[in-house]
Amino acid sequence: MKKLLALALAVVMLMSVASALAEYKVAFSQIGQESDWRTANTDSIKAAIEGHEGWELIYDDAQQKQENQIKALRNFITQGVDVILFTGVVSTGWEEVLKEVNDEEIPLILVDRMPDCMDQIEYAAAFGGDFVEEGRRQTAWAGEYLKSIGRGEEEINVVIMEGTTGADAQVGRTKGNLAGLEAYPNLKVVAQQSGNFTRAEGQALMESWLKSIDKIDVLIAQNDDMALGAIDAIKAAGKVPGKDIIIVGCDSVKAAFDAIVAGEMNATIECTPLYGPFVVNAVEKLQAGEAMSKTLVHPEEGVYDMDGGIDLGTVVSVKAADVIDERQY
Amino acid sequence: MKKKFDFSVLARSKVTWAVVAEALILLVCLFVRPDFFSISYQPTTEMLYGNLIDIVNRSSEITIIAMGMTLVIALGGTDLSVGALVAVSGAIALKFLRWDVTIYNTPGDYTVYPFILVLVVPLAVCTLMGLFNGFLIAKADIQPIIATLILMVCGRGIAQILTNGKQFTTQYSPFRVIGQGSFLFLPMPIIITAIVVAAVALFVRKTAFGTFVEAVGINRKAARLSGINAQLIIFIVYALTGFLSGISGMIYSSRIMSNDSNNAGLNFEMDAILAVVIGGTSMTGGKFSLLGTVLGSIIIRTIVNLVYYFGIASEATMAFKAVIIAVVIVLQSEPVRNYFAKHSKARQNLVSGGARG
Repeated sequence: MKKLLALALAVVMLMSVASALAEYKVAFSQIGQESDWRTANTDSIKAAIEGHEGWELIYDDAQQKQENQIKALRNFITQGVDVILFTGVVSTGWEEVLKEVNDEEIPLILVDRMPDCMDQIEYAAAFGGDFVEEGRRQTAWAGEYLKSIGRGEEEINVVIMEGTTGADAQVGRTKGNLAGLEAYPNLKVVAQQSGNFTRAEGQALMESWLKSIDKIDVLIAQNDDMALGAIDAIKAAGKVPGKDIIIVGCDSVKAAFDAIVAGEMNATIECTPLYGPFVVNAVEKLQAGEAMSKTLVHPEEGVYDMDGGIDLGTVVSVKAADVIDERQY
Repeated sequence: MKKKFDFSVLARSKVTWAVVAEALILLVCLFVRPDFFSISYQPTTEMLYGNLIDIVNRSSEITIIAMGMTLVIALGGTDLSVGALVAVSGAIALKFLRWDVTIYNTPGDYTVYPFILVLVVPLAVCTLMGLFNGFLIAKADIQPIIATLILMVCGRGIAQILTNGKQFTTQYSPFRVIGQGSFLFLPMPIIITAIVVAAVALFVRKTAFGTFVEAVGINRKAARLSGINAQLIIFIVYALTGFLSGISGMIYSSRIMSNDSNNAGLNFEMDAILAVVIGGTSMTGGKFSLLGTVLGSIIIRTIVNLVYYFGIASEATMAFKAVIIAVVIVLQSEPVRNYFAKHSKARQNLVSGGARG
């Protein structure tokens, strides 16, 4: 019996050694599952790595805890992985562990969220969204759309529903929102408040605004969830969402597409979670020993609305109904 | 001779101070924005429309949970799992409404499983989870804060697993009625809350149950020795709190017509505990006040609406809430109440003494 066990153990060990030799180990430290966006992000990267021949994915879900993530990174080092993909749950406190990764000369690819210590560490590539540009596109879309329907000169009251105070997306998008407004002097911000990125709080906030502000023409919601919540509040106040109040969301989740096609929401600015192809491309280059640029690469993102054709300078909007079937998240 | 009303009794009661606090907050509102109080009729929804309605409406989720939390705290315990149970309840409801989003691709006015299951199963599961809390506390003798921490941590995980980490949306109109419907010109959550508050109040005050809860909360051993089945009381109270969290979760998810396992009921345990404490029930257990809790919950919501209505900057919101709550809690503290009680008594003696000559 003991011999049999030893034999089995030896076989297992041999197999694992063999596989370790054959496979190129790609480790991915993800922050956890906080939203649909994050789930789509994880699925995209996991599928891309797992589907690639000769690569083995080592995945760790940190459950929103930095200490779990630091532990995971150290585990990756001991396991001798070939490359590490990293999305940090917070922006600070990574210097030490990322320097350890550097010391072991394991290439590091930063995904989605950039740590504050980016300048002090070595990394092979970085992919992340451009929150400021997303914010700019939101207000620019509203401005251009109003021009297109002949309301370019009219005094327009805008409310900005912000995300969780202090979150990267909230800070960036607010900056972009306000910067985007400068080109449209007829647009005036009458209220700015946090809806915490959730449907319920977006709804409660809109409900209150509808009572405290006499005239609201445009709602800029820094994510689609808050916009979707606000739609119900607008209906409850006897107004028509999408007509009486123009609604611009952000993220481009499937539910927002449904709302746009139903005519209850006007536009959504994309913030793509589908980083899989970028990551595969970067890791392939690494494996082949090619040189890579160290600049932060933003994925290409679209703008989707009811009718399409609104020109925002950097991008032209696409009719949501035309692409709704292709949406993966 | 007509008996004079003793104001010191009123000043010593914590409920009085909750009323004073709410009145003060509303008074400030009245001066800053008188239109805060305007109420009109909204024909499209057949409901009364106004800020005060919103405040009571939006406080429903917390008020309902806080009814159970009041009894839990009166027992000398706490229940940290209520927020997670809200998420579980919504997740199960949406699971039955949508089942598999890959098959039933677009949200619409349909339910995959009979509506009765959508209503009953979430409440049943939440009650069972409450019973689980009760079991750990009554039978295994684990401290409530630790026992309920288990479901607080893994409840959201269960909700995530049930929905495969996805957010389902529905348009099923009977489900919408729970959170967005109306009855007697009032939003449905207010009606549901009124029924829950009345039912709990009748149950604890018209039977001996309330007295038993207070007895167990003051001294479990003494209560047991005087013939009260303390374990049974604990079981019932935690199961009831689970059940009420389930109702709260249904309202929450019906309002947004979707489950939101990450955010549904987030920090509700803290708000519910706060509502109970503002309402004058002591964390050490014993005497409790359901009316005070309802007021506490309304005060919390008034502050939130005030922040929205007055357009206070989002960065300052947290600090603003903290200051108001701190003032309310200090107003209710023992020394402050005693000071006012003494003061009013002294004045009264002086006045009545003077009158008699």
